[in-house]
Parts: sequence; C-alpha cells; structure tokens
Amino acid sequence: MRHPIRALALACVLTLTPACAALHLSAPDPIAAARTDDQRAYAIIESYGALVETATVIVRDPSVPIEAKRAIGRAEAAATPSVQTLEIVFSAYLRARAAYAAASGGDDTTLTRAFNALNAASQALSQAIDRAQAPVAELQTIINAQRGGVR
Amino acid sequence: MSNFLVQLQLLLAALSALLPLLPDALRARAGEVLGVVGKALSLGGALSTGVGELAQKLAGIRAEIEAMAAARHAVTADELDAAMARVSAASAAFRKALQTAEAEVK
Repeated sequence: MRHPIRALALACVLTLTPACAALHLSAPDPIAAARTDDQRAYAIIESYGALVETATVIVRDPSVPIEAKRAIGRAEAAATPSVQTLEIVFSAYLRARAAYAAASGGDDTTLTRAFNALNAASQALSQAIDRAQAPVAELQTIINAQRGGVR
Repeated sequence: MSNFLVQLQLLLAALSALLPLLPDALRARAGEVLGVVGKALSLGGALSTGVGELAQKLAGIRAEIEAMAAARHAVTADELDAAMARVSAASAAFRKALQTAEAEVK
C-alpha cells in the first residue's frame, strides 16, 4: 500500500462515523432519579446488570480487539465484588428496616435497639453505595469508549 | 444508522465490482483501500450496535426508579434478589464469553 497514512486516516474516519452518529449527549442516569438510599442502591445494581449484559455483547464480538475485551474484563472483575458487597449491606439494611417496623409496637428498649441498628445499617448502606459507584462508573466509561462515546 | 451502514457497504460492493475495469497497476491498490474501508465500516457498525441497546436499558431502569421515587416506594427483598440474579447471570455469561475470546486468541 503506497499511502498507508491516508488509508489509516480513512479507516479511522469510517470507523468513527457510525459511533459518532450514535452519540447521545447524555445517556439516562437511573441513579440520579433515586430519592432514597435504597432506591439508589437498587438503581446501581440494576444499571450494573445492564452494563455487564452490554459488556458481554462486546466481548462476544469478534471484531473487537482482545486488548479492549481484557480492559473490560479487568473493570468487571473490579466492579462485581463492589456490587456484591453492596447487595450484602443492602440485605442487612432491609432486615434492620423490617426489624424496626416489627419493633414499633414493642417496648421502648426494643424500639431503641432496632432504631440504632437501622441507623447503623443505613450508614453502612450509604458507604457501600459510595464505594460501588466508582468501579461501576469505570466499567461504564470503558464500555462507552468501546461503543462510541455515550456517557 | 444501520440503514446508512448498509448503504455504505452496498456502495463499497458496487465500487468493488468496478475494480476489473481499472488498470492493473491501480487495481491492487484500489482493492486494498476498499478492503480497509470495508473492515473499518464493519468494526464501526459493530461498535455502535450496542449503544442504543444500553441506552434503552438504562432509560427503562431510570423510568422504574422515577416511578419508585414518585410513589415513595421502599425497595423490597424480592426486588433486590431479582436485581442481583440479573447481575449474577450477566457476570457469569460475561466471564464465560471472555474465556472464549481468550481461547480464540491462543
């Protein structure tokens, strides 16, 4: 090939054309729609499921370079444990909330104990949400980079 | 978008059909250029395919969360279990697909 640079430039332009055409200025952000921590945690987990499903489609695509697939793999390996931890903390929060609801008809000591347990579980949930957001966002960034820039 | 890509690919196919009309010296180069263009279009099309799909899924989840927020709905254990089942299934499928991709490289 006598003009490899020109051919490469043309290839880049043509590769990016469909990706740019598919560009959205802002992708829907389910987490921003949540009003409470339990809704926020649920939004993160659901969004993460959708992200990993899309990541699977990319990894199955034979035209995607293996390096890109490995980068997604590393991001998934980092994010999944955070989401699993979020689930564990979320489950504990749901149990504490149920215990508080059950204790509301009981004596003051039981109610105070349940209230304190719910407070602690609520704080733990908030922290788990904060910790899960960064690795999930990292995976989304890598997928967006592969998919042409949807943020 | 896919229509646009199909049209471009048809145009490439039409141009390829004209290759025999070119002088020998130009034919090989033109064939190489068309080959590169075809590969680039194929890759770009593959990359953009999932964009709308992911955006649609996220939009659906956002609508669900908005409805929860409007109704002041507290997430239940069953809803959490269903969401985590989705994550677990997706994660298992992803890791299997990555293993397959690695095996194909070797």
